[in-house]
Amino acid sequence: MNILEGIRLGLAVGIAKTITSLVKLLKLGAASVLPGEIAGRLHPQLLRLLSQQLTQGLILVVGTNGKTTTSLLLKDILVNNGYKIIHNSTGANLINGLVTCLITHSNLWGKLTADYAILEVDENVLPLALKQCNPTHILALNLFRDQLDRYGEVDSISYRWQNAIESLSKDTFIIVNGDDPTLCYLGQNLSQKVLFFGLNEPELYLEEIPHAVDSIYCPKCGTSLNYRGVYLSHLGDYDCPNCDFAKSKLSVNSQEWQQILIGVYNKYNTLAAGLVAETIGIKKEIINETITNFKAAFGRAEELTINDKKIRILLSKNPVGMNETIRAVNDIKKHNLSSTLLMVLNDRIPDGTDVSWIWDVDTEKLVEIGGNIVVSGDRVYDMALRLKYSVDTLDSAMNLIVEENLSQAVNKALELTPLNETLYIIPTYSAMLEVRKLLLGREIL
Amino acid sequence: MTIHLTIGWLYPKLMSTYGDRGNVICLERRCQWRNLDVSILPLDQDTDIKTFSEFDVIVGGGAQDRQQEIVMRDLHGEKAEIMKEKINTGIPGVFTCGSPQLLGNYYEPAIGQKIDGLGILDLVTKHPGQNVSRCIGNVAFDIVASPLLEDLKEMLGESPTVVGFENHGGRTYLGKVSPLGKVVRGYGNNGEDGFEGAFYQNSIATYAHGPLLPKNPFLADWLIIKAIEQKYQKKITLTPLDDSLANKGRKAMLKRILT
Repeated sequence: MNILEGIRLGLAVGIAKTITSLVKLLKLGAASVLPGEIAGRLHPQLLRLLSQQLTQGLILVVGTNGKTTTSLLLKDILVNNGYKIIHNSTGANLINGLVTCLITHSNLWGKLTADYAILEVDENVLPLALKQCNPTHILALNLFRDQLDRYGEVDSISYRWQNAIESLSKDTFIIVNGDDPTLCYLGQNLSQKVLFFGLNEPELYLEEIPHAVDSIYCPKCGTSLNYRGVYLSHLGDYDCPNCDFAKSKLSVNSQEWQQILIGVYNKYNTLAAGLVAETIGIKKEIINETITNFKAAFGRAEELTINDKKIRILLSKNPVGMNETIRAVNDIKKHNLSSTLLMVLNDRIPDGTDVSWIWDVDTEKLVEIGGNIVVSGDRVYDMALRLKYSVDTLDSAMNLIVEENLSQAVNKALELTPLNETLYIIPTYSAMLEVRKLLLGREIL
Repeated sequence: MTIHLTIGWLYPKLMSTYGDRGNVICLERRCQWRNLDVSILPLDQDTDIKTFSEFDVIVGGGAQDRQQEIVMRDLHGEKAEIMKEKINTGIPGVFTCGSPQLLGNYYEPAIGQKIDGLGILDLVTKHPGQNVSRCIGNVAFDIVASPLLEDLKEMLGESPTVVGFENHGGRTYLGKVSPLGKVVRGYGNNGEDGFEGAFYQNSIATYAHGPLLPKNPFLADWLIIKAIEQKYQKKITLTPLDDSLANKGRKAMLKRILT
């Protein structure tokens, strides 16, 4: 960087930092996006100039589900190994959010002192981000149907990722979920250092392939894939009956790994973070110890206690996520540890404005098991209708309570929860923030 | 008389991108809740020709581009002839988003060659290019198609406003086929002429996901009535169901988008 560049960088960062202070001082918000937006206009190369100062590397995390949980686990592992880490923990994952995150961690002159940055990147933004920075690692978790009103289609996203990754250095580690056929094929077509994670535990196979499935066709020739078994959505053990496409050899043996939190999806999150940590050369003892001590991020499987009652929030923002939540909740219900659920469906921009995806969720499985289900949110009647249409008789085991007012819905659900049980709350993203605000008096920790 | 209805579901694995299976679930449940026998028949690559025609009401949803291509390659010859025959003779159906494009004369994608449809509905769909915004958002429209409107008025005592969610890149232009409705809010077929969907014989074509039927259950009941009438050549009155959740939902949505 020459002197002039340095001054320009300092200027952009300085102004952005001033804006951050102002926004916070005037209590206008969390300042997780605006400073980056303005600084980016002052200096379009900010992402590159800031990220290349990282002493060890830049790790980008993409995927529909699990970005935050995986990033937090990876961050903990790296911190426990003595590294200084930056992470866009507020979930602001568009270019402005990435820049804001780096600025927040640099001094007034745009000097950054950290070893690694772990940046969660929106799946649609990855190609643009890759034009502006050179990551050492890209971690691709999964590609599910999510917010189609914003994003378009799984196939086209994977195609654009491939084009964008092709031009990166051959030393870049690309760590992909081998159980996801689309991503596995993507990995097979790349010339970088590609490693695959996934499960090898047939005892976890689902009994049937859920409806909310996107990629059951061979990404190479379009033939229907042959599945030996499915772990979650379209993630599983497969090969193509028509061409030579098959699941790549995995770099991890999932049977040897313990996992964080609950649910099969968190097995994937654990393996993903663990494999990245292994490529960095971190000892297995440190990885294992971090996994044992890991606590959930806010809103995602987080446990709270209000008035001596235990509450667990399980963010569910798309069909695959909600199906997995239902699987986890039903497991708990079978042990009589929870009788009451609160489902909150919103349709704001962060949730996706189209709520028809709830009809791709297998809510039949949730209703089958009975209990109280309180529903609320902007689209309370859509959610209620979905549940009503989940049974073939007019009298079901479920006690459906429809409550437009969220605060009253929360109170009702708490009332219905006995002291020795846990209330499970299943919200979309903005609903999760609202619920937290009601429970804790603030949106984010 | 024992009534049994078979719901034909067009390519369930390929054409159900936006929750449109809700239309199948809705028809199935509303039969079950009334103790009418009902079954679902997937109509796809694996269905043999003999079985392909054994449906009394048909449901089609939307698809991603690659999936839609697979469908269009499979649905020709005898299967296409069966579809034409059934729809032309008044077997009722509901087709959302991608499937009306399939039933139309042709679809002109943003890039690539024009894809011929089955030519059952006299309509064409053109994609204006990837730099033109998609038509996305909540939509509301008044039913205008005849005799659907008259039937619904008789059922409900009023002419209904339908709500849904549209999300389409292609713009549809109608030829000699009547529109399903007149747009109250949203884009409809093309964002220009103020019409939404198409209506032909007893088939409803629309861009409204939501899904359409659970949110507007009178349309589901109309399809069930038509299916029974066609199959058993007999007029029928359905047992009323409690639709207060759907009505409240529609009311809340109309209040939100009309003010």
